Amino acid sequence: METKDQKKHRKKNSGPKAEKKKKRHLQDLQLGDEEDARKRNPKAFAVQSAVRMARSFHRTQDLKTKKHHIPVVDRTPLEPPPIVVVVMGPPKVGKSTLIQCLIRNFTRQKLTEIRGPVTIVSGKKRRLTIIECGCDINMMIDLAKVADLVLMLIDASFGFEMETFEFLNICQVHGFPKIMGVLTHLDSFKHNKQLKKTKKRLKHRFWTEVYPGAKLFYLSGMVHGEYQNQEIHNLGRFITVMKFRPLTWQTSHPYILADRMEDLTNPEDVRTNTKCDRKVSLYGYLRGAHLKNKSQVHIPGVGDFAVSDVSFLPDPCALPEQQKKRCLNEKEKLVYAPLSGVGGVLYDKDAVYVDLGGSHGFQEEVRPTHELVQSLISTHSTIDAKMASSRVTLFSDSKPLGSEDIDNQGQWMPKEEKQVDLKTGRVRRKAIFGDEEEDESGDSDDEDDEDMSEGDRLENSSSDDETEEGQDAEVTDKQYMSDQGIKRQKLEMEEDFEVDLPAFADSDDDLERSSVEEEAEEADESSEEEDSIAEEERDILESKAVREGGKPELLQTDDSSDSLNVEKSLTKKKATFTTLDSGHCTAEEAFASEDEPEGNSSLSTEEEDSENEEAIRKKFPKPSQVVSSQKLGSGNLIDETSDIEDLLKEEENYKEENNYSTETSGALKWKEDLSRKAAEAFLRQQQTTPNLRKLIYGTVTEDNEEEDGDNGEELGGLFRVSQPASECKHKADSLDCSRFHVEAPHDWDLEEVMNSIRDCFVTGKWEEDKDAAKILAEDEELYGDFEDLETGDVHRGKPGPDTQIEDVEEEVKEEIDPSAEESAKKKHLDKKRKLKEMFDAEYDEGESTYFDDLKGEMQKQAQLNRAEFEDQDDEARVQYEGFRPGMYVRIEIENVPCEFVLNFDPHYPIILGGLGNSEGNVGYVQMRLKKHRWYKKILKSRDPIIFSVGWRRFQTIPLYYIEDHNGRQRLLKYTPQHMHCGASFWGPITPQGTGFLAVQSVSGNMPDFRIAATGVVLDLDKSIKIVKKLKLTGFPYKIFKNTSFIKGMFNSALEVAKFEGAVIRTVSGIRGQIKKALRAPEGAFRATFEDKLLMSDIVFMRTWYPVSVPAFYNPVTSLLKPVGEKDTWSGMRTTGQLRLAHGIKLKANKDSLYKPIVRQKKHFNSLHIPKALQKALPFKSKPKTQAKAGKTPKDRVRPAVIREPHERKILALLDALSTVHSEKMKKAKEQRHLHNKEHFKMKQKEEEEKLKRQKDLRKKLYRIQGQKERRNQKSSLKGPEEQLK
Amino acid sequence: MATQAHSLSYSGCNFLRQRLVLSTLSGRPVKIRKIRARDDNPGLRDFEASFIRLLDKVTNGSRIEINQTGTTLYYQPGLLYGGSMEHDCSVLRSIGYYLESLLCLAPFMKHPLRIVLRGVTNDQVDPSVDVLKATALPLLKQFGIDGESFELKVVRRGMPPGGGGEVFFSCPVRKILKPIQLIDPGKIKRIRGMAYSVRVSPQMANRIVDSARSILNKFIPDIYIYTDHMKGINSGKSPGFGLSLVAETTNGTFLSAELASNPQGQGAAMLPEDLGRNCARLLLEEIYRGGCVDSTNQSLALLLMTLGQQDVSKVLLGPLSPYTIEFLRHLKTFFQIMFKIETKPCGEELKGGDKVLMTCVGIGFSNLSKTLK
Repeated sequence: METKDQKKHRKKNSGPKAEKKKKRHLQDLQLGDEEDARKRNPKAFAVQSAVRMARSFHRTQDLKTKKHHIPVVDRTPLEPPPIVVVVMGPPKVGKSTLIQCLIRNFTRQKLTEIRGPVTIVSGKKRRLTIIECGCDINMMIDLAKVADLVLMLIDASFGFEMETFEFLNICQVHGFPKIMGVLTHLDSFKHNKQLKKTKKRLKHRFWTEVYPGAKLFYLSGMVHGEYQNQEIHNLGRFITVMKFRPLTWQTSHPYILADRMEDLTNPEDVRTNTKCDRKVSLYGYLRGAHLKNKSQVHIPGVGDFAVSDVSFLPDPCALPEQQKKRCLNEKEKLVYAPLSGVGGVLYDKDAVYVDLGGSHGFQEEVRPTHELVQSLISTHSTIDAKMASSRVTLFSDSKPLGSEDIDNQGQWMPKEEKQVDLKTGRVRRKAIFGDEEEDESGDSDDEDDEDMSEGDRLENSSSDDETEEGQDAEVTDKQYMSDQGIKRQKLEMEEDFEVDLPAFADSDDDLERSSVEEEAEEADESSEEEDSIAEEERDILESKAVREGGKPELLQTDDSSDSLNVEKSLTKKKATFTTLDSGHCTAEEAFASEDEPEGNSSLSTEEEDSENEEAIRKKFPKPSQVVSSQKLGSGNLIDETSDIEDLLKEEENYKEENNYSTETSGALKWKEDLSRKAAEAFLRQQQTTPNLRKLIYGTVTEDNEEEDGDNGEELGGLFRVSQPASECKHKADSLDCSRFHVEAPHDWDLEEVMNSIRDCFVTGKWEEDKDAAKILAEDEELYGDFEDLETGDVHRGKPGPDTQIEDVEEEVKEEIDPSAEESAKKKHLDKKRKLKEMFDAEYDEGESTYFDDLKGEMQKQAQLNRAEFEDQDDEARVQYEGFRPGMYVRIEIENVPCEFVLNFDPHYPIILGGLGNSEGNVGYVQMRLKKHRWYKKILKSRDPIIFSVGWRRFQTIPLYYIEDHNGRQRLLKYTPQHMHCGASFWGPITPQGTGFLAVQSVSGNMPDFRIAATGVVLDLDKSIKIVKKLKLTGFPYKIFKNTSFIKGMFNSALEVAKFEGAVIRTVSGIRGQIKKALRAPEGAFRATFEDKLLMSDIVFMRTWYPVSVPAFYNPVTSLLKPVGEKDTWSGMRTTGQLRLAHGIKLKANKDSLYKPIVRQKKHFNSLHIPKALQKALPFKSKPKTQAKAGKTPKDRVRPAVIREPHERKILALLDALSTVHSEKMKKAKEQRHLHNKEHFKMKQKEEEEKLKRQKDLRKKLYRIQGQKERRNQKSSLKGPEEQLK
Repeated sequence: MATQAHSLSYSGCNFLRQRLVLSTLSGRPVKIRKIRARDDNPGLRDFEASFIRLLDKVTNGSRIEINQTGTTLYYQPGLLYGGSMEHDCSVLRSIGYYLESLLCLAPFMKHPLRIVLRGVTNDQVDPSVDVLKATALPLLKQFGIDGESFELKVVRRGMPPGGGGEVFFSCPVRKILKPIQLIDPGKIKRIRGMAYSVRVSPQMANRIVDSARSILNKFIPDIYIYTDHMKGINSGKSPGFGLSLVAETTNGTFLSAELASNPQGQGAAMLPEDLGRNCARLLLEEIYRGGCVDSTNQSLALLLMTLGQQDVSKVLLGPLSPYTIEFLRHLKTFFQIMFKIETKPCGEELKGGDKVLMTCVGIGFSNLSKTLK
């Protein structure tokens, strides 16, 4: 910019600075503070009108609520995928330069040629994928669907171009990503004023398109072919801090913007047939939603595919690990753009590719490679050390194995048991034998059956010194037993569950029950054990019980059930079991014999002690026993599944081992380290999970596959015996019922069985935090005294024991006990906290609205979503929730057309859009459509058009319709000009509410605005009911009074029958009804009308005829076109285009042509009046019958006189003379007239004078007369005589 | 052409409902072969045929192909349509057989479903309409399927073998379902029940009530068992009686048990006292199994969790029934969804057997049939 026209300083009129100045100014003038206005002039701020105030309040509330959006669950992953920045603009506007500058800004690297997306680390928590978008409408549509941010480049020297508006419209339809305008070419303006004006004009236009206040960036010119560093830096800052709104389509569908493509096809196949379908792998960051393996994806421009395999790879452009520093260091500024050949090392599932850069590689380009390799190289330990420390996870949810594990493990190491080494700590036998290693390796999780634990227990009980251990022993054993319970479920799968069913259903005395249980267990496990041993044991226990004064009748029941157990177990034993359990048997015998002498020396008090302890300890196994028996139910269903058998086999193997370990277990071991045992218990609990999981899902983890392999017996190492799964067969056709039958019901009359569910009822024991009594007590302690106002009782808070003591102590000692003080303090704090909580709760409750609640709920859900699978490793996580967004995944796809690989152009984006359920199906889609107001033409029904809906672009044939008031969908031939109409097409099912746009063609450059229509999907169905109007016409051929016979409307009586009762109408508006078909002319019918018809009437019937939507769906396969021709895809042409191409003129309907108008002369007939009427008419109106004067008869016709010239002269003279004469006469007449006029005037004057004179005379006369009369009157006063005279 | 989702293939007639229902919801065609292929009477039974007919009624554009012997069925689902309709169920299975599947499908129709089902309302095989009304409906409400039009009504009661019952079911339509977190079943606060008797002495019901109470009273005092004696045309065509019990917890979990008398002419006569007692025991068994969802409705809960938004749903169940286990497998094949299964041992609390905590992330299912206005 020129320095000469720099902006002059302008004083600020608003903003904090101006405010401050104003304030200071006012203070100088001694006018006081602004804030004081309220104080100074309270009236001005008083409520003037309640109504107005209410209104203004209403308005503010309205504005506030308007800002609310429906809260959605925030599903953004913790490590989000890179943000897709689409740099868009018309050609030659500076897109590539901007991308280069941005990359250089973020990574200090210069990329010379950019192909495809470039991923860079832009900050500690943000990565960007920058991709350029050209003017091909295919590319624009595809990229608008995946963009998070659009940098819209505008050539300021030229102004907006159509592409910009098109792209804006595309964005609007497919969810509106963030859009930032960037004005370039600002250096071409010579005058500053013009520049400013242009900026303003463009800004306001941009605002109307995007939203008022949308950010428009100015890049003011190039320096050495690049934008100015500071401006690019600012732009980069804007991008890095930008926040994004979730877009519905993007968050509900997984998608990948592929940044790498590999062809995995067998080269031999390609060699034999170059056109064979390919198998490709595509790489990219997963975005949007979770992707499930084997799901369907759509690649816009190629088609639909089923994902054959997905796997996640280490992140090639990882965010830096958490660090304290504010900014990234150089090593962390990674760039990854495999399509541009940047990013050096490429990791594949099974290989690593290192790009060596070649001899021409730029120094800068080599750099990332160097860094990545560096990280690989920079190891500080030797390979042996690493080997030793490295851990291998064999199975997805197994504990990693260390090298020591591998060394120590025997051949029989079970694969799915991962907590192998952890188990070992639990078995303390190793201490006795001193062979720790062996024990560690030998004891697998599953091995520790109850045999062993029992052995422990028995040993414990028999040893006298155990009694001292008290509590510890109890705790550990408790755990033991619960573990055991879990374990047992497996055992029971193989043994028949009926065996141990009555295990807990036999007595209600704790001691007896437990002992009996023990027996029962023993019986279960060592089912082939001799009766004698069992009986012996029972005798012992019985005698113990008797000694302790147990109830004899209960013992009876014990006995009976026990014997039952044994019997059952004996009957149910399995062949395999007997053989395997030989060792175990001996162990039991050993125990029994051990016990026997003890039992015999029955009077020793020590033993009693030990028994007591045993009894106490045995209380605990009860619930676990319950568990195990409950497992039966599941065991029940389990035996149906094939998987379980494998499991069982394994377990049998373990059992053998286990017996061995049981025998060797030392007496003191169980109390060794309790915390570790707790951990074990937890692990064991976890470990049962995969079993249940495996039971359900079968071969989920790799080990299962191996197992399956083992199962198949091999014949000569070549063939495998295929055995039909027997249970599979029997269940295939069994009863389909959802009920879960109780196979082995409990005896609910027994007290302890009843007790097992006591706490399920409100009458049972509550949890600590919910127990009303406890809570009440706590509250009382905290809140102290209260007075019941109704009764007047004063409840005093119980002085806590400690406070009591404190009081006493205080009195006695005077000195302050520090601990007591502390507790008091703590109490006080507790009290305070509780009060505050109460206040908070009360306060918040008033404030929270529905919206807040909803938001809170969503937040909670989001937290749960994040936390649920957080602690699991990715392998396991992927199975549960699918591949989560943010992962770098590799997707294998088969049967891809070879053109996709052959004509691969990295400039075109490859998007894998995941499809939801049944989104891969096709059906009829109804949508609300509006022709774009900038599109010049209107759209015609049945013209093929290209839609962009969801991920797809496809050509289809829509029908346009409008919905009548009664819901009828009436076909339209053309879309209305400025109105919405419906459109229906046959195509892929896309969820309702999805926006779409339509273009007439995607090839070449059309001169005008290319987007033909936009709208939204409304409905999906498998059938449509669009109708068009059909008028059937007929003519009456016979008319009675109100009935007419109509023909020509139908062709057969059958057709008529179908329309019987239908409403018909004449053109003149007479309504009627179809009655019945007639026989005579085919298709004629009888109809009745409300009035008599005329023969000239036309009768018609209005009907609706359903139209069918052509089932045409043709995906736009633009990516399959050769390089450089990708924007030339053309599908089906419209009839108009075809006609134009082939030069076929439309055959016009002759009737539709315009012809010269020929008007016929109007002819009126003469009026005929009847004679009778004529007679009655007055003469005036009577037609004058008098014959016209006809031709004069010949005799009366006078002959014409032909004058002689002489005569003619005379005549002319006479004529002239007469003319003269007449003129004279005329003049004379005029003169006479004048004369007469004057005479008349004179006469009038004279008359007037005469009248005047007469008047005067009369006046005089009357006056004299009057005087005379007066005189007479006077004389009459003298006398009448005189008067009479 | 959009590639049609490749069809799934199964063999055997078991779990036919699951397969067809999941096929309808996922849009993937299924082919079921070898339906009772080795049976003396091969092919689909009447009740299955009736079920398929019902599916055809509630959907639009379904394609169903059955071979000559009825041993192979190909089902290509259409879109769920709904609306008002009637269906005569086969008397071989009770209405519960049909209703269970309808409960899965009804929230995803185009028009709210209002259907009258005729047949057997209570039998010994399937969950009865009373139980479904008491347990499945509150479960659906947890998922946000609610409203005044959401109801299930027993108009007439019909016992096997004659049937003659009538049930009215209406369900509103939802676009999306709410995720659920049912981890704590709570404690049972009351037990309700329904003792019904048709075409037998009304005294039967009272006898059932007394015997059932005698057992349940040991646990909780809040018990009320209604007696329902239907007469005339409302009593169906066959005599019978039965009891269904429902235990409600403080957290809105419903556990149920039911028992019905033997159908007329099949099996020995049953004493109502025995039936009542046995049913009460069954309820105790169910309580022992526990969980937040009744054992018959496990699969329904899991299905609706699967069809939820892409959020985590959790539910605590009792031991999984074989039906549920198969259902989980089917969910995996149809929706590629796997549940995280954690066994929760009961520990030393007196709360019955150990439970299973099922966790999943919904697939983000949305009702494609619903019309946008």
